[in-house]
Amino acid sequence: MNHPPKLQVNNLTVNFGNLMAVNNVSLEVYPGEIAGLIGPNGAGKTTTFNAITGLIIPSSGKVFFNGHDITGMLPHKICRLGMSRTFQVIKAFAHMTVEETVRVGAYNRCNEKNVYKKVDQIIKLCDLADLRDKLCSDLGLAILRRVELARALATEPEMLLLDETGAGLNQTELLSFMDLLRKINMEYSITLLVVEHVMQMVMGVCSRIVVLDSGEVIATGNPESISTNPKVIEAYLGKRVPQCY
Amino acid sequence: MKQILSTKYLPFISIFSLIALIPLVISKDQYAMVLVTTVLLYAVLASAWNIIGGMAGQLDLGAGAYIGLGAFTTGTLLTRWNITPWIGMFIGGFVSVSFAILIGLPLFRFKIKELWYALTSSALVEVLRIVFLMWDEVGGPTEKYLPGGGDNALYSLRFSTYIPYFYIILIFLVIVIYLNHRIRNSKLGFSLLALGEDEDAAEVLGVDARGNKLKALMIYSFIVGTVGGLYACLYGFLHPSFFSTEISTEVVILGIVGGMGITYGPFLAAIFLVSFREYLRAALGGELAGLYLAVYAVVLIVVALFQPRGIAPLFRRLFEKVIRSLGGREHESSAKASS
Amino acid sequence: MLDMTVQSIITGLMMGVIYALITLGISIVFGVLNVVNFAHGDFVMFSMYLSYMIGTALVWDAVQTPLITIPVLFIFGFIVYYLIIDRTLRQMYVVQLAVTVGLQIFMRSMALIIWKAQPRALQYSIIQGNIQIGPYTILTSRLVAAIISLIFIAGIAWFLNKSWAGSAMRAASDDLDMASLVGVNYRRTYALTFAIGSALTAVAGGLLMSFQQTDPVGGIRFGFLSWCVLALAGLGSIPGLIISGMIVGVAETVTITFFDPRSRLLVIYGIFILVLWFKPRGLFGRK
Repeated sequence: MNHPPKLQVNNLTVNFGNLMAVNNVSLEVYPGEIAGLIGPNGAGKTTTFNAITGLIIPSSGKVFFNGHDITGMLPHKICRLGMSRTFQVIKAFAHMTVEETVRVGAYNRCNEKNVYKKVDQIIKLCDLADLRDKLCSDLGLAILRRVELARALATEPEMLLLDETGAGLNQTELLSFMDLLRKINMEYSITLLVVEHVMQMVMGVCSRIVVLDSGEVIATGNPESISTNPKVIEAYLGKRVPQCY
Repeated sequence: MKQILSTKYLPFISIFSLIALIPLVISKDQYAMVLVTTVLLYAVLASAWNIIGGMAGQLDLGAGAYIGLGAFTTGTLLTRWNITPWIGMFIGGFVSVSFAILIGLPLFRFKIKELWYALTSSALVEVLRIVFLMWDEVGGPTEKYLPGGGDNALYSLRFSTYIPYFYIILIFLVIVIYLNHRIRNSKLGFSLLALGEDEDAAEVLGVDARGNKLKALMIYSFIVGTVGGLYACLYGFLHPSFFSTEISTEVVILGIVGGMGITYGPFLAAIFLVSFREYLRAALGGELAGLYLAVYAVVLIVVALFQPRGIAPLFRRLFEKVIRSLGGREHESSAKASS
Repeated sequence: MLDMTVQSIITGLMMGVIYALITLGISIVFGVLNVVNFAHGDFVMFSMYLSYMIGTALVWDAVQTPLITIPVLFIFGFIVYYLIIDRTLRQMYVVQLAVTVGLQIFMRSMALIIWKAQPRALQYSIIQGNIQIGPYTILTSRLVAAIISLIFIAGIAWFLNKSWAGSAMRAASDDLDMASLVGVNYRRTYALTFAIGSALTAVAGGLLMSFQQTDPVGGIRFGFLSWCVLALAGLGSIPGLIISGMIVGVAETVTITFFDPRSRLLVIYGIFILVLWFKPRGLFGRK
């Protein structure tokens, strides 16, 4: 933890009209770790992600990536700097094949010559070889989550933000997905920040967890301390019991 | 390497060689020549639209504006300064591009809905029509005839038969379809397709929404503007009605009915729909001149609702079936070339 | 000079309220369904022809014709929704837009075939004459049209805020998933919204026929005028809509008074582009 943080969010606030979706959120993610961002429905997790990756412009606050100020920068520029993400509501390229989808991401760092090699490598890594010529509109949820991860990985990020990648997966799918996450974290040293509802996944892969409730950070710490923190339990029990917990 | 190239483009080359032979058969029949030339002209426009509309998913309704700008630039350069349309039409292309950039820059910003671009481009046609109607020096309500013809035919691009126009437009079509094919298999093409599918997702994968859409718009408006110059020479006069909403919508209809993002789709749609339109026009005469547009509109709605990827995939399946039943080995190469 | 300016502003303000009424139709459809009806201006043109036909056949006054055209356009809206719009909701945006462009071309060319190219107007109106205030003249027919428009706008605003169907529409516009959770049938809500948007053009069509003529390409103008008003107003504010309608109306009449009448579309286009460039959410938009 002596390294400077990979991602640093300072006093991030997002308003929609009168509604305060995210209020004064600060958090850090350190190089090489898998951090988790959890909280009940409507706590502002996805909005935080959107503000970090440039999809919405925060009302106030700052976001730093590798020490660069990336607040309000366009998403594709942030991606060039080495940060990409997946979406909670799948945003698949419905009329493109798996291979073509991955190729879109691969062009971030590759030219026409070496793009094929990158695509092959990522498809193998994410175990999508059998499906590479299938159209995304013909694929199921579990596969599409994998495709979303694949295309984000193809951009060769230093850091990935994963938004509810475990939602809607069954037990086997979930376990293999968790293996994949650990693999990309260990072998490719990609820093991960995951938003998750599925507690099994959060507790299984994250080394540090930030808890949001009603747009504010209510706790930060390792999985054990979080699961016993009375404020966290209250936030969840007050609203909704987490699944598989 | 040469071997691969020749097999890959074999269907492409053979089809266009066949088309090039058409005038030899029908050159005596003036009506048929007009028909095939018109089909090719619309095929060029719709194939160009495929880049901005089919791939980038932007409903551009501005084809009429770019045609008019190209036509008036080319025509005015010829009448005022005696500059040959061979140069003038490319200058017309650049004029179209500059107008396109003017509306593309503010409207292709990230997070601005596609709707506003569609509206702006469609209004541009109407606005430019009014401007040229009021601007008497260049436009005005009466036709301005282009000089030339006779001995000067080649210099002023004013031929007395359709045959030279046919070949010029055919060359345009070959270039535009080849361009489509190249873009479709390059970084620009994949970026555009991704933007057309989901702008947010494309942006976080490093695709510059505004830059790529602008590139597509510039290519498209340049082609259409250049064709506009040709259009003026073909008709031999200039008139503000060249800024036509009908042409703009026809181009969109051909692009969508043919199959968005599919290289040869718009050409296919042009063959069927433009022939059909000319047939209706000949059969019904001026009495029901507007009917073809109503039919076009119905075709567009039906295709969009029930076959949103256009008619090209249907033809591809049919084509593959035929090839398979012939047992040819070409199946593989043709499938690849068409994707 | 000053007199002429004030006079044209007065006329523009009254026209602006009618434009706001037309735009309200697009605004609620866009806001609730997130669907863009390119053909909206042609709905107005169609309503005007209907008013013309009813006016001539029954020897009615133009302002009475909405009694018949409102139900007709309401049903027409329902049919268009279920036949076309409903099937495009899950498709790509280009296709969705293109379908309503198809509808627009269809209506325009059918109007051309049925009513031919020459403009039509109704001859008599019971609201004749004008009101003199000092040097200024207010055409009674336009004043009546503006007042009726305001009443309808207020009525729709009340409906959106107070009735159950209205709250269902607002709920569907805010969050479709949540709305279906609390028991809003989105299809019926969407159809109702679309039909109301369509019925509003019947009101506007009748009012416009009391002092204007109609022709098959008139839809282009109304369509564009109302999109310009919407771009100015943004989504979600009804007073903003009226003010924007007035701005566009005044811009139009001032152009007609002091410049070439043909250039009125240019001025509106100018406003449109400037707004999209500098205030892409409109002057009053909340979303």
